[in-house]
Amino acid sequence: MNHSLQNCVITGPWENPASNFSAAIFSLFYQTSTIGMKIKDAHDGIDESGFSFVLETPVTTPVVCEVTAWDQASESNNVASENIIQAACGLMSVHGRASGKIQSLGLNYVSTLTAALALQGATAAALGQLRGLPHADVRISMVSAALLSVSQYLADATVNTTDENLPAAAKNRIPAPPFISSDDVVFELETLNAEPWLKFWTRLGISATLAGKGWTAFLLRYAKAIAPLPDELFHALTHVTYQDIAALCSQTGLSICPVQTMSDRVTDEQLKCEWLNGPWAFELTTAATASFRNNNNHGLPLSGLTVIESCRRIQGPLAGHLLALLGAEVIRIEPPGGDPLRGMPPLSDGCSVRFDALNRFKTIREIDIKSAAGRAEVMELAKNADVFLHNWAPHKAAQLKLDAADLADVNPALVYAYAAGWSNDGDSSFRLNAIPGTDFMVQAHSGVAHKISQACGIRGGTLFTVLDLLGGVVAAQGITIALLNRYLNHTGGKVTSSLLSAATLLCSEDFQHQYHFFETNVPAVSRFNNIYATKQGMLAIECCDEAALQRLFQIIDDGQIDIMQRLDEILLTNSAQEWVKLFQQAGIPAAVVIEDLADLYDCPQLRPLLNRGSYTQVTSPWSFQ
Amino acid sequence: MPIKVIIPTILRPLTNQQKHIHIDGFKVSEVIDRMEQQYPGIKAKLVSEGNAHRFINIYVNDNDIRFQEGLATSLQEGDVMTILPAVAGG
Repeated sequence: MNHSLQNCVITGPWENPASNFSAAIFSLFYQTSTIGMKIKDAHDGIDESGFSFVLETPVTTPVVCEVTAWDQASESNNVASENIIQAACGLMSVHGRASGKIQSLGLNYVSTLTAALALQGATAAALGQLRGLPHADVRISMVSAALLSVSQYLADATVNTTDENLPAAAKNRIPAPPFISSDDVVFELETLNAEPWLKFWTRLGISATLAGKGWTAFLLRYAKAIAPLPDELFHALTHVTYQDIAALCSQTGLSICPVQTMSDRVTDEQLKCEWLNGPWAFELTTAATASFRNNNNHGLPLSGLTVIESCRRIQGPLAGHLLALLGAEVIRIEPPGGDPLRGMPPLSDGCSVRFDALNRFKTIREIDIKSAAGRAEVMELAKNADVFLHNWAPHKAAQLKLDAADLADVNPALVYAYAAGWSNDGDSSFRLNAIPGTDFMVQAHSGVAHKISQACGIRGGTLFTVLDLLGGVVAAQGITIALLNRYLNHTGGKVTSSLLSAATLLCSEDFQHQYHFFETNVPAVSRFNNIYATKQGMLAIECCDEAALQRLFQIIDDGQIDIMQRLDEILLTNSAQEWVKLFQQAGIPAAVVIEDLADLYDCPQLRPLLNRGSYTQVTSPWSFQ
Repeated sequence: MPIKVIIPTILRPLTNQQKHIHIDGFKVSEVIDRMEQQYPGIKAKLVSEGNAHRFINIYVNDNDIRFQEGLATSLQEGDVMTILPAVAGG
């Protein structure tokens, strides 16, 4: 295990968690256990609105972290739970785009994100204290975590332009990956270039024009959470075995990964080891000397600290964004001419809003890191920085001579962070490093896709980039933990996390269910959880326990038998809004399902977390006092 | 033969903020060369080492030229050439 914070104590309501928060509390317990924190049980600190925990270090005032379902500034008294927040914050809507059916992800996704952000906030507050700030209280909500996860989709949905759209023919079609072979193997394909895609499909008898339409649809996965591929592509695979498809992939340069079952994954020894080690691999040395710089701007825990970020796409940039929200100055290295994704439609004020959503607080430095002069410039930046963060492909850091050891030579106190795809230890011989460690490939390999498919009745995972986002949070969390360690224990060094480690975190309850390693209970499955059409709008209801389910029975009881069988019909008599009011008065978690992300800003309970500019921006999930 | 070319926001500083322009040409490469004559600097944004730049998508009507003849893709009267920057995230 990584005992990076073994001299810290965390006290929380582990033994008797309210069921609405049991998944978040379980995840928090798991995360803190893997970094060696001593765990104490609190007998209170939990009610229907949220829970709290206390982080103690040997040299700081205890930090109290309050975790609520709704943001405290919204003053909402509504009860909520995992699936209610997924419904109310648009996650179900994004997930449902590919299948055409709005539904839950079937994962404790918001709970896991919330736990990770809560631990990061508490760690950051302790770090802030060591740097002269008075932070003893940090607040976070499940809705703030959920909104953070849809921030790029929200930007896309709310920008006031219709100038740039992909060719219309590609839209309004449902078929989406994963694919299926003639011998019924479900699998993902991946490539970041058009050429292997063209070669692969033409070898299967697909015309270049049709393969091109498929490529346009394939590219929509990351940006729009849809992939309306032509039927002919799926049909072409129904005549070929998985083995032959894999061989063709090998010949044409396409990558392939079967969708593996969760039961396969929990019995995989390597994944079991990763689960026991936790989401991060720390390689810290004690030779470093950390300077205790004074904080004088913004009053945020990381203000005055400098982060150098050399990242592309989502995972790494989100990690940098979170550190910027905590006050760090983030200097983002981009290639000469700027990151091409700055031009990714739609744009506002000359910049992609999807890009801006994750990068708007960063300073940009254009550097050709492959040149000697560029490398020297990076080394000079790292010399005076606190964190160096990258998400380069495996081997690239060594090729560029910008690996942890290279940078430690000029700055031993530096926290060197690698946000990887597959490998937590950066092992270049790791077989999976030969294929792109993208969100959808890792979903397939890790069991996340299978878990989603089982819950949702679909073939594979979600095109909502759940792992890129959780991976970004985990990377930022690892950096914050390493920074706290630097101040507490005078260490510098490397912290590695990956999309695969994020996937394992997301499924940590499945491993616990198998091995019972940690001294805590696996969160119970909700007694009742569903989405319904109403007279107006869609309604999400979740009864986490029997008591809530009984209250639901009492409300809808019309004196006739088979109420639950007629629930569809009964709920059509009122609007979703009216049902929510009725159910919430009875303490039953319920929410109107957000179908269009543009409607999020109109929800009073979410508005404190949103800013309306040229597009709707999601604010920091933390508040510190 | 004039072809309508739709210009993305990010390249409009090079086309005097015009959203679409009309350029003569029988192939995509000819259109790009003539665009360069009228709007210097635009070719470097579209072409890299003799091919369409990896982070730029060029469509003739609804078809990505990488799946046609690349820059040699033929054009016919009434065709619309759309330039779009990368759409990938991930």
